[in-house]
Amino acid sequence: MDESKTAGEADGLLVPEEEADVAEAVRTAVSEGTCLTVSGMRTGMCAGAVPHGGYVLSMEKMDRIIGVGRDGRGYFVRVQPCVTVRQLNDFMRRRGFVSAVSVTEGAAEQLAAEGREFFYPVDPTELDGSVGGNIATNASGPRTFKYGPTRDWVRRVRAVLSDGSVLDVKRGDIRAVGRRIPIPFSEGVREIDLPSYEYNRAVKNTAGMLSEDGMDAVDLFVGSEGIFGVITEADLYLAESHPLMSNIVFLPRNGDAYALSRDLPGSGVVPEFLEFFDSGSLDLIRASRAEDPRFTDMPDIPDYAGSALFFDLPMDGSITDKYRMLEPVLEAHGGSLSRSWCGHELKDRERFFAFRHSVPQTIFEYVARLKGSSAPGINKMGTDMSVPLAHLDEMMSAYDEVITRHGLEYVMFGHIGNGHPHAEIILKDMDDFEEAKKAYAELARKAVALGGSPSAEHGIGKMKTEYVRMMYGDRGVEEIRAVKEKMDPGWVLNPGDMVVR
Amino acid sequence: MKFVVAVKQVPDTVLIKVDENGSLIRVGVPSILDPYSEYAVERAVALKEEGDSVIAVSMGPEQAGSALFRCLEIGADEAYLLSDPAFAGADVHATSRTLKAFVEKYVSDAALILCGKQAADGDTAQVPAELAEMLDRDQFCYAVDIERDAGSFIIRQDYGDEIRTCRAPEGSVVSVQEGDVNRPLPSIQRFIDVSSVEIKKLGRLDLGLGTFSVGLKGSRTKIVSSRAVRTERSGRVTDGTDPRAAASFIKGVL
Repeated sequence: MDESKTAGEADGLLVPEEEADVAEAVRTAVSEGTCLTVSGMRTGMCAGAVPHGGYVLSMEKMDRIIGVGRDGRGYFVRVQPCVTVRQLNDFMRRRGFVSAVSVTEGAAEQLAAEGREFFYPVDPTELDGSVGGNIATNASGPRTFKYGPTRDWVRRVRAVLSDGSVLDVKRGDIRAVGRRIPIPFSEGVREIDLPSYEYNRAVKNTAGMLSEDGMDAVDLFVGSEGIFGVITEADLYLAESHPLMSNIVFLPRNGDAYALSRDLPGSGVVPEFLEFFDSGSLDLIRASRAEDPRFTDMPDIPDYAGSALFFDLPMDGSITDKYRMLEPVLEAHGGSLSRSWCGHELKDRERFFAFRHSVPQTIFEYVARLKGSSAPGINKMGTDMSVPLAHLDEMMSAYDEVITRHGLEYVMFGHIGNGHPHAEIILKDMDDFEEAKKAYAELARKAVALGGSPSAEHGIGKMKTEYVRMMYGDRGVEEIRAVKEKMDPGWVLNPGDMVVR
Repeated sequence: MKFVVAVKQVPDTVLIKVDENGSLIRVGVPSILDPYSEYAVERAVALKEEGDSVIAVSMGPEQAGSALFRCLEIGADEAYLLSDPAFAGADVHATSRTLKAFVEKYVSDAALILCGKQAADGDTAQVPAELAEMLDRDQFCYAVDIERDAGSFIIRQDYGDEIRTCRAPEGSVVSVQEGDVNRPLPSIQRFIDVSSVEIKKLGRLDLGLGTFSVGLKGSRTKIVSSRAVRTERSGRVTDGTDPRAAASFIKGVL
């Protein structure tokens, strides 16, 4: 079971302690004619790690930070796949690299001697997810607004391929010629023909595998949900960090925060990200706080707040100037600098993110309760669609029109700055769930029609394979399947994820 | 009325870890305003009426200025940093003497002097008592609520097994053990306003203190040695399915 709360069944559990064990597991699965489902921290939301027969390959013991290195682009950390994002953040924050191994000469000493500070900039809401899972799903988070998704930070991967051989590849080692990429297996190089579709990089997108002319072999493993190889090690680049100020501004009416998010870039202030809360999501937090005043560990949401916008700004000498620039835009939408929270200490900034996370978390728990009682077949129905900002107004109208037409209630929050808010449909029973699925499919088609993605960050897993077809058509799906056949002819690795055999 | 709050900067104990020798690993752990100090500031700010002021004071190195900035963010009006190389290594006695000198010289008319009940790093809980003694004022500890009442203060004290409500005269020293359940946050406007407030620095000579009354030289406590103490559970367990057997097992252990 993962965070999608769907249950699977497996014939056995394998827990490798090192790469050789992974290779052994793959060979075992091949010789037995069965399959492997790779499992990290099981925080996925699309059942990618939920097995249907075969072995579960749990990477839990491969959770070590190996060391730090440096190349022409900068510093990187070498990790095993089950290191969590939180673990990586702690390693950097607590200067674990001071006593770490240098994987390129003198890197740890150089990093320790730096006057600057560094961090891993991809910040998925779920910090307890594994980096292997993050790579396999090309995870993103609020900070993707500024730093891009996981893909942009992967320097190198080591992966066990379907024949049990190990591929160690860093950016620049192997590139496609046109759409044909050579991948070395133990018995020789296989020429892989990448899908011919135009992969949508203009929006946040995790629908289907990346495919581009001249694509790097590293990108074959980033975002392909583990169907081409089991990641056993990776190098992740670091970015220079700067002190930040987290801010939440409260606006009087439901639509105000959205309208402000559209106008804020025009103020000349560039936030690190823009996240919004509609009135429903604020009410959801208020309701949880009525039961437990410590919920979210934040002050009470002011009564006047009908919506809110959350953003970080660089905490430097110009921050008060930036606030002054924001003030008129804020006031134009009924807000003010007084009707806000801000915080710059680490513990406060963590509270802002916990506050943000509390919305989906509350819905998760609510749906899990339904699942455990009256509606065992129910799943959370939160949209994960992104559209270009130019079409966001139209998409926002569509969310309201479509979900309401299906007789359902919803709340909205999330990555508004990326054209990627989450609409959480509030379900009471299985009838609602069936209606919600229809509304969801309709919205997914709308997002694709507007040049967006039906699966912006949660991935495809086993639950959203139809969206790959929606995005790339029958031909696109066939082409991904052809890559899978070439890379893994026995469909041993994560069968059922992204494409169905 | 003036409310003085004596605060301390401490490493964030929620984030701190201990090495195998029992020493605190401070690397990468941010310093924060002590949580009990923060409660004291919150209480002082809540007492404020038109024309009143809350004055935060801290003895510490330069970087303790950030703890005072936090006091300003949550509502203090003025902040003083008592900082001098000679103050380093101060124990309870030397710290109290330094704070006493500040109160006498700069806010002798304080209506209340508030402190946290103890600091999250040293945990002595002695400074409020010693400060009250040195200033010859009444002291009230474990405050969970403070109200104004015609020239004096009604203080609710939580002793764990009993709650006492006392009337405290003006000028008392109060140590606070409880604030809001959720840590307050400033508004952006408040942040802008306090960004221009100067944190005033005072050294040993400003307070009129001789070298032998402050810091390590003015301290009466000497740490001779320290060691980490570990207790290990013996791991003996009774399942309790047979209450009689479980009872005799427990009796045997005792």
